[in-house]
Amino acid sequence: MLLDPGMDLTLRPMKYPHFFDRFKDAIKNTWTVEEVDLHSDLADLGKLSPAEQHLVSRLVAFFATGDTIVANNLVLNLYQHVNSPEGRLYLSRQLFEEAVHVQFYLNLLDTYVPDLDERAAAFSAVENIPSIARKAEFCFKWIDSIFELRTLRTRDDRRAFLLNLICFAACIEGLFFYGAFAYVYYLRSRGLLHGLASGTNWVFRDESMHMAFAFDVVDQVRAEEPGLFDADMAQQVRDMLAEAVECEVQFAEDLLEQGVSGMSLTDMREYLQHVADRRLAVLGIEPLYGSRNPFAFMELQDVQELSNFFERRVSAYQVGVTGAVTFDDDF
Amino acid sequence: MTVMRVRKRNGDLETVDVNKIVRAVERRAGDLSEVDPLRVATKTISGLYDGATTAELDKLSIQTAAELIGEEPQYSRLAARLLAAFVEKEVRHQGVASFSQSIRYAHQQGLIGDATAAFVARNARKLDDAVDEDADRNFEYFGLRTVADRYLLRHPLSREVVETPQYWLLRVACGLSANPAEAIGFYRLMSSLAYLPSSPTLFNSGTRHTQMSSCFLVDSPRDELDSIYERYHQVAKLSKFSGGIGISWTRIRGRGALIRGTNGKSNGIVPFLKTLDAGVAAVNQGGRRKGAACVYLEPWHPDVEEFLELRDNTGEESRRTHNLNLANWIPDEFMRRVESDGDWSLIDPTDAPDLPDLYGEAFDEAYRAAEKKAVKSVKARDLYGRMMRTLAQTGNGWMTFKDRSNALSNQTGRPGNTIHLSNLCTEILEVNSDDETAVCNLGSVNLAAHVTASSGVDWPKLRETVRTAVVFLDRVIDINYYPSPQAAASNPRWRPVGLGLMGLQDAFFTLRLPFDSAEARELSTRVQEEILLTALETSVALAEQSGPHPSYAETRAAEGKLHPDLWGVTPAQTERWAELRARVAEHGLRNSLLVAVAPTATIASVAGCYECIEPQVSNLFKRETMSGEFLQINTYLVRELKSRGLWTAPIREQIKRAEGSVQGIAELPADVRELFRTAWELPQRALIDLAAARAPYIDQSQSLNLFLSAPTIGKLSSMYLHAWKSGLKTTYYLRSRPATRIQQATVPVLTAAAEACSLENPESCEACQ
Repeated sequence: MLLDPGMDLTLRPMKYPHFFDRFKDAIKNTWTVEEVDLHSDLADLGKLSPAEQHLVSRLVAFFATGDTIVANNLVLNLYQHVNSPEGRLYLSRQLFEEAVHVQFYLNLLDTYVPDLDERAAAFSAVENIPSIARKAEFCFKWIDSIFELRTLRTRDDRRAFLLNLICFAACIEGLFFYGAFAYVYYLRSRGLLHGLASGTNWVFRDESMHMAFAFDVVDQVRAEEPGLFDADMAQQVRDMLAEAVECEVQFAEDLLEQGVSGMSLTDMREYLQHVADRRLAVLGIEPLYGSRNPFAFMELQDVQELSNFFERRVSAYQVGVTGAVTFDDDF
Repeated sequence: MTVMRVRKRNGDLETVDVNKIVRAVERRAGDLSEVDPLRVATKTISGLYDGATTAELDKLSIQTAAELIGEEPQYSRLAARLLAAFVEKEVRHQGVASFSQSIRYAHQQGLIGDATAAFVARNARKLDDAVDEDADRNFEYFGLRTVADRYLLRHPLSREVVETPQYWLLRVACGLSANPAEAIGFYRLMSSLAYLPSSPTLFNSGTRHTQMSSCFLVDSPRDELDSIYERYHQVAKLSKFSGGIGISWTRIRGRGALIRGTNGKSNGIVPFLKTLDAGVAAVNQGGRRKGAACVYLEPWHPDVEEFLELRDNTGEESRRTHNLNLANWIPDEFMRRVESDGDWSLIDPTDAPDLPDLYGEAFDEAYRAAEKKAVKSVKARDLYGRMMRTLAQTGNGWMTFKDRSNALSNQTGRPGNTIHLSNLCTEILEVNSDDETAVCNLGSVNLAAHVTASSGVDWPKLRETVRTAVVFLDRVIDINYYPSPQAAASNPRWRPVGLGLMGLQDAFFTLRLPFDSAEARELSTRVQEEILLTALETSVALAEQSGPHPSYAETRAAEGKLHPDLWGVTPAQTERWAELRARVAEHGLRNSLLVAVAPTATIASVAGCYECIEPQVSNLFKRETMSGEFLQINTYLVRELKSRGLWTAPIREQIKRAEGSVQGIAELPADVRELFRTAWELPQRALIDLAAARAPYIDQSQSLNLFLSAPTIGKLSSMYLHAWKSGLKTTYYLRSRPATRIQQATVPVLTAAAEACSLENPESCEACQ
């Protein structure tokens, strides 16, 4: 079973080939920080209203530490318990991606915040900015929840592990980051901060995969041990998401306090509730809010993109293409 | 709910009144029967914050209307009208009440050239009367938004627009006209969106910097430092005024070659291209778009393998050029050796300095002789495989064919005139040299505006459009400001222009022709023949008035060979061709080249049609531009679905989930699904065959993109061999799709149960409601 304690090293016969497929897909989407062109962002920053500038500075302060927290949990709490070599391949890849994200936001902050003191303040946001500190506390609480757990021996251990996994997938990557992406996409739909948007787009693409992998693991564990995921656990997940929504609404109040046209607090709250409901739906749990997505600009994220290369660097290419030269393949 | 207030221009706060917004929207909606003004108004207010300005309110209502396009395409028209009103308010607010006032005002601000200002002042009344404000209604939202953000002139300090969309088009026409009647005729053609000149003309006509050409083809620097740095300078100047650059680098010695002056070894072409990369990125085309260049290299150059890695996103950054596009300029000899699995020699240009100037048999002979001095020998197929890998991984490394490009060109009638490369978009093929930089001005016919479902192509209208277009493309040559002396040396001699077309996919949808059908291929070929034929007729007429272009004697036309003759095809309109031939023999041609199919990325958006000769990429997609993101929906499909009562929320959901594909919608009959396939779903062989069929009527070339969702080396190598064998001169991007995608945020979560039920019982599936 997937969560049996141990260090399985056998890739053949492969027990969880879909984990391996996710690993291969992830490799095809390799991107590097150098590809993101931030130079037009600097001009845009000068054009933003004070309210929008406040939004952006808070947002990047969150990004400055967000991915590091996720990476830490992956190493400290997830890797050791997912006892499948192909699963661990994916997690290794995820760890690399988190590192690239950290590097991207590092580069972004260095570019956006030229003043060294302000920059230091942004990187210590988890301590100074209450709305970010609260989110961090939520994360730390769940990191700590299984930190001492070296092996999963009992049913309760496995449930504790699953709750941590779900927290990071559904609440942190799935809600905190999703919330943050909404601000970025709001700006992008207005033609602002292309560099931030294109980098975030790639981050978002990676995060979607991380979430999908985590839910794969949840599904796998549920299939292997059906009784594990009972009503009690469902309630715990609902409580966890409700708390995460609260944290994120508080963050939104901070970001939007000066008034941003096209992104009201009412709409943002509804959006976050809607996202939370979606996470519950994936887990097969009743929704909490029954809210709808109010942001039409998020719909734009669901369709194919077409960029004019005069304006934007086209991002839809693959790495790791295989095969040999032949002349009679179908095309 | 708290009271929402807006701040007016005079600073007063006023409570937001939903009815007032509804009335404002209703006024613009007019005949748009499917839009709901109340919905726009309430949604606008929900996104507002207390104390927002009235301008913010106006912008938000435009945005809100635009966001409903995915549900009902009429919202695109509504958003465009709201935007037109917003722009007009901004112009009027500066005291501009008419076209001539706008020109005078912009002239005072140093934006308009003296000649155009004087022309407009002389003919103010006639020109003012010609402005047709209702023509704004031809625009879709994305088109007008592009116009407003990019094309309209802005006050240098306040950044407010100083012209309305119609003033802009009339200004462009006046900048190219000799009298008001001519200006008004050209203006009407453009404002009907049946034809648009390329962006540099739309940006700069009538202004103080009349650089109106799109393309510059710069020969490789000579193999010496001064020449290399001269090229950087030239590229920067050309780029500054909106030109796209093609530049060859084939003459520069490779890595490890001896430098006699210092007795050192060369570092090869990569470090120099890195400098070019930085230079291109530094030049911003008046804030409207970034500079862009494509570097061409012949595959026998010793650094070709490193060249193919310039766009990789891993590896040493000092050997990567993320801003440059790359193209291979391939002699047939290479392709033959790929086919026969032969060896391929890499030769330093210092050992064979004449190779870049030779093509065909002369090249083959010289190349074989130079192989004795080869730096290295590789398997031709290995190098070809690397080219394919670069295409798959970066979309770049375009395959363009040197011998075909030269053999089938009007300009290469005399030895010594060689085409050394194509341009940034692989549709221009013109001779150049160390002291002549080839230039081309472009424009495109919107075929969508010349086709109706009931009577097909309106041939007389198409002919008329082409005649007007060629006259004004030719006009640009004399009025144009040339940013470099090399460009100024070439263009008056050869007088090439590039008339293209866009909206081919629109025509196919209107006439219900699947993109890969024989009828579609026939139509596209006949349209292309009509365009080339009429363009040549017009050029003869111009030669009759003003004489042939100065280098006419050096062309193949002077020997009686027109472009279809070079291909050895028999055109459909034989009589007209025969008459044309006789007139060419008598008067010559005013232009050495006339037709090139450019990608039309931006002007197709303005015109609201599909790009050039391309199939649709998706029935539902977004465009990303400097102005933001824009949802685009296939209005032909929406009409079809509406007529079948299928334009419902569940179907829209399905289309979104399938990323704009309708192949999985069982309710649609097979022929409809066939018609609405996307570029990803069409056989690429058909795209190549269509291109090859029309190619005899394109005397330059065409920007032919190819699409493979999941490319493999095997597919690519087969596809590009077919492209070469079909006789295509050039190909353009290889488009592919990311391996994984962002999780969709706005379609319902699909659980295993829902998936099963939707298969069994699509009507009652909750997940789809």
